[in-house]
Amino acid sequence: MSTSAFPPPPPYYRLYKNYSQDPNSAPEPPPPIEGTYVCFGATYTTSDTLPSLEEQGVRQLYPKGANVDFKKELKSLNRDLQLHILELADILIERPSQYARRIEEISTVFKNLHHLLNALRPHQARSTLIRILELQILNRKRAVEDIKRRREEAQGILNESLAILDGH
Amino acid sequence: MDIISQLQEQVNLMAQLTFNTIGTLQRDAPPNRLSPNYPEPPPHPTEDGANFAEQAKQMSTALVKAAKQFDALVEALPISEGDEEAQVKRIAELQAENDIIGQELQKQLEAAEKELNQVRELFSQASDNCLNLKKPE
Repeated sequence: MSTSAFPPPPPYYRLYKNYSQDPNSAPEPPPPIEGTYVCFGATYTTSDTLPSLEEQGVRQLYPKGANVDFKKELKSLNRDLQLHILELADILIERPSQYARRIEEISTVFKNLHHLLNALRPHQARSTLIRILELQILNRKRAVEDIKRRREEAQGILNESLAILDGH
Repeated sequence: MDIISQLQEQVNLMAQLTFNTIGTLQRDAPPNRLSPNYPEPPPHPTEDGANFAEQAKQMSTALVKAAKQFDALVEALPISEGDEEAQVKRIAELQAENDIIGQELQKQLEAAEKELNQVRELFSQASDNCLNLKKPE
């Protein structure tokens, strides 16, 4: 399939010639795409989940399982990182030709760190949602109180004016 | 900036410091004595020597400081255990409460609107009466 540098726009506009007179004579817009799609030669997917480390070919250093204790794992990965840096410095002194493996290990630790942090994002999204809902509930309660108070005030003023008028 | 972004920035900073430290040490290290048979390598003037040791110390201090700050940030994470179901449940609860309050708000609003219309009606009647009773000059 050959593509030109400046292709003309797709010719679907001809189908909408009588749209203003008869909206049903023109085709419906295409339904939303599900699954994977190709855009400018690259494949994209509609479900946006974080790919696990194994799928990216990186060894996972923290224990797998349903509930990972993020704080503990992040701290132990940090310590791990410092130790690896120290190891790299040592091996550069003793056996400088064997740096590659150490560097690979350091990059694995970094990838694990970033993956853990990305896994915290859905949790953050849910907390943000909870906070927004709480604030909304608070605002609605305040609005209800406000309306009640003003209605009572208006009622009071009406009664007062009634009393004044009746007094005459 | 939210705390997770700060953590990510800190990780990137640590990577940067690591590369700079190792790279600078590797590039600028004075030649080392290989074996007792050969004489000391001639000391390279300017830049190396005391300056080099200073630099190494400063860079490693910066690295350790960045690591400590990462730990502090991790400590400040507002996260608790076993969370996803608890969060989803809380969201469902909050939504239900939100709906109830929304309905009450709607009710109050409609009642207030009705009263407003009544008052407007009465006011226009009263003003009509006032105008009609006004003695023509």
